[in-house]
Amino acid sequence: MRRAYLHFTRFPVQRKVLELPELAGRPFALVEEVRGQRRVAFASTTALKAGVRPGMTLTAATALEPVLRHFPYRPEDEARALTVLGEALMALAPGFQLSPPEGLWLDAGAAHLVGGEEPLAVLALERCAELGYRGHAVVASEAFTSRALARHGARRVEVVPEGGGARALAPLPLAALEGGEGAAFSSLGLTTLGEVAVLPAGAVAARGGVAGARVHARCRGEDDTPFVAAVLDEVLEERVVLDFPAESFEPLRFALKTLTDRLGARLSGRRRAAVRLTFSMKLDPRGQARVPLTLARPTAQAKLLLDLARHRLEELKLENPVAEVSARVDEHSEDRGQQLALGDAPEGDAALEVVLSRLVTTLGEHSLFAAGLEAVHRPEAAHGARGFHPPERRRGLAAEGLEAGARADVAAGVGRERPSRLLAAPACLDAEVAESGRLLAARLGGKRHRVTALAGPERLGGEWWADVPYQRDYYRVHFEGLGPAWVFRDGRDGRFYLQGLFD
Amino acid sequence: MRAAVEQRGEAGATGSSGSVVEQLREKIRQLQAAPRRYLAVLRTGMEAVDALLPAGGFPLGQAVELCGEAASGRTSLALRAVAAAHHEERLCAWVDGPRELYPPAAAALGVDLERLLIVRPQAPEQRVWAAVQLARSGAFACVVLDLTRGVGSAGRTPRVSLAEARKLADAAERGGGLLLLLTSPEAPADGMTRLRTEARDGKGWSVEVVRSRQGGTGTRAELPWSVLYPELGLEDGGRVLDVAEAGADATPDFLRDQAGALRNGCGILGQRPGRDAPMPSLREGLDAAGVAG
Repeated sequence: MRRAYLHFTRFPVQRKVLELPELAGRPFALVEEVRGQRRVAFASTTALKAGVRPGMTLTAATALEPVLRHFPYRPEDEARALTVLGEALMALAPGFQLSPPEGLWLDAGAAHLVGGEEPLAVLALERCAELGYRGHAVVASEAFTSRALARHGARRVEVVPEGGGARALAPLPLAALEGGEGAAFSSLGLTTLGEVAVLPAGAVAARGGVAGARVHARCRGEDDTPFVAAVLDEVLEERVVLDFPAESFEPLRFALKTLTDRLGARLSGRRRAAVRLTFSMKLDPRGQARVPLTLARPTAQAKLLLDLARHRLEELKLENPVAEVSARVDEHSEDRGQQLALGDAPEGDAALEVVLSRLVTTLGEHSLFAAGLEAVHRPEAAHGARGFHPPERRRGLAAEGLEAGARADVAAGVGRERPSRLLAAPACLDAEVAESGRLLAARLGGKRHRVTALAGPERLGGEWWADVPYQRDYYRVHFEGLGPAWVFRDGRDGRFYLQGLFD
Repeated sequence: MRAAVEQRGEAGATGSSGSVVEQLREKIRQLQAAPRRYLAVLRTGMEAVDALLPAGGFPLGQAVELCGEAASGRTSLALRAVAAAHHEERLCAWVDGPRELYPPAAAALGVDLERLLIVRPQAPEQRVWAAVQLARSGAFACVVLDLTRGVGSAGRTPRVSLAEARKLADAAERGGGLLLLLTSPEAPADGMTRLRTEARDGKGWSVEVVRSRQGGTGTRAELPWSVLYPELGLEDGGRVLDVAEAGADATPDFLRDQAGALRNGCGILGQRPGRDAPMPSLREGLDAAGVAG
């Protein structure tokens, strides 16, 4: 099976710099606890230049570089970040397998869809570079060949043809074996994998046992390690634990950027776009805050998500400092992408989202909506509130009118005699009624309005099966000095009510 | 695409495939040469009203005020502008202060409800702020700000201050969309193009340009109600159907007060209530008759 291995040199260091941009170019180390001692697991390039080496105690490292900053190394966080990277690459490959802490395999079986294996490797590296990671990529048939070449090879992108593993591996040093086996071979005076490969298999098996035989086979370009694709999470959720509880927005901003970058990468890898998100903040020592975020236009753009999250959270008042932030995508839809025409500004949608987010923050979520029609006979119940999710504009040929027939016509005739303004609740009219029951005048806002024209009645009734049945005779009435209004006489109490205005 | 199919049909008839490519190229050239349709005005679709406005419609990038009584056609005019923007697949917003916009009527006028954002701020002073935000964003081709007061509500209508009017005009100009203000005559907004609508009688209504920087002040158009509401039917005093009085027999029995109450508390046909209702006390009856005494 063809697979591509992506190796990110000192991945935890790269990740740390992405999360805290101020660390770029500074000496720092990621430290893990080994038998009660804090030892350097990964060091930044500047620290390496100062002589700090992985495995060194933190005390020794600080002695070498007094301004060395250190952070705890959490393998589960690195695995998490690698998974996100793998999911972001799902647009190029059908599956990925993690190889923590510095790399992952991609299933290169679908390479022909992007034009071949080399373009696949190049595209994968480009996608990683967009997310801020630098790496090497090698496509080969065996897991060991691809991994060893990516870690120890000289070229940034390499494709090893089927059966060419042994030849490609031959110049690599014994360090590429990454285990105790390398030491045994080097004590025999061997230096490269090629020299190991030419040893007689029987002799290696007799001396080195199963492990020796396996290493020998790998050096010959034979490896039967299976590809086990990582299982994708159903729920798109990301979490960042802050190093210190944050009392201002500034540290939270970096955490939010990490969260939205990861969510954006995962969404775009799955070709999905977020419709509704929830940001939850765990407070220190107790308490929790949840902020929902609903998007009018589904998006997977991390930058837009970050802008919106910032707008929503910036002015949030919390009683305790924030210890942990998480973001979850509650609802997502298919991402159809955006086709821009010449002269279109891609930030048009961003402006919409930002203004909606600002209004939601100030006015509340229920103050903004789009109306929808309901199949209800009672006039005031014939519409309902929906979420505002406007359809995309059609562009290109479709917008030029070549598909004009596809435009859905509005239901003509329905509702044409309905008033454009409808009172929230029918207002009881202070009405002057003739002996015959005909409406003569009404008093509205302290003024008497004479009826100059009257049309009707239109009888609406129903809902006798419910608790509040209605039976109304509607009249279209022209009041002098006011205009045409929609008035009904309620069958239950015989009084006139004003319901709407033909404005 | 349809054009392409037609072209292919013609090519099949003539049998020359080279000319099809040429024709398609020519078609592409025409499409590319055609000027891009930029929206500059929103037409109401009523020629008499459009002719009043110097630009031939509501101009984008400006704040226009529609001032009139409670039912004088302001809302319908605004809805037509919104429908014109929706025809070009642009978004619109309606800041609904009095909470009176009736979406079914809007849909009947051609408004695409999916593309219309309705904003109903809780506090009246947030209306102008919301409209400024919406207009300034540039994401909406038309923002309608309804500054009127609901019919039933008491108190005075708050006026838009000069500073707020300036802000609104500035937001419309910066966002490049139309900002329509719906106001009532007792509380007009200041400093912008103003159209005054008036309901004359059952026959019609009129629009008059009261204030305009591009001229045309004082011009007036009178229109029948049927252009806004074709089925209103209020001409010549209206038509009233001769129906039985509501008190007589119009209302079905089940909608009136409970029939049981009418029949002295007994069941249908006046017989004794069943097990569900308690039996009338015998003692009360005896007391009334004076038997116990």
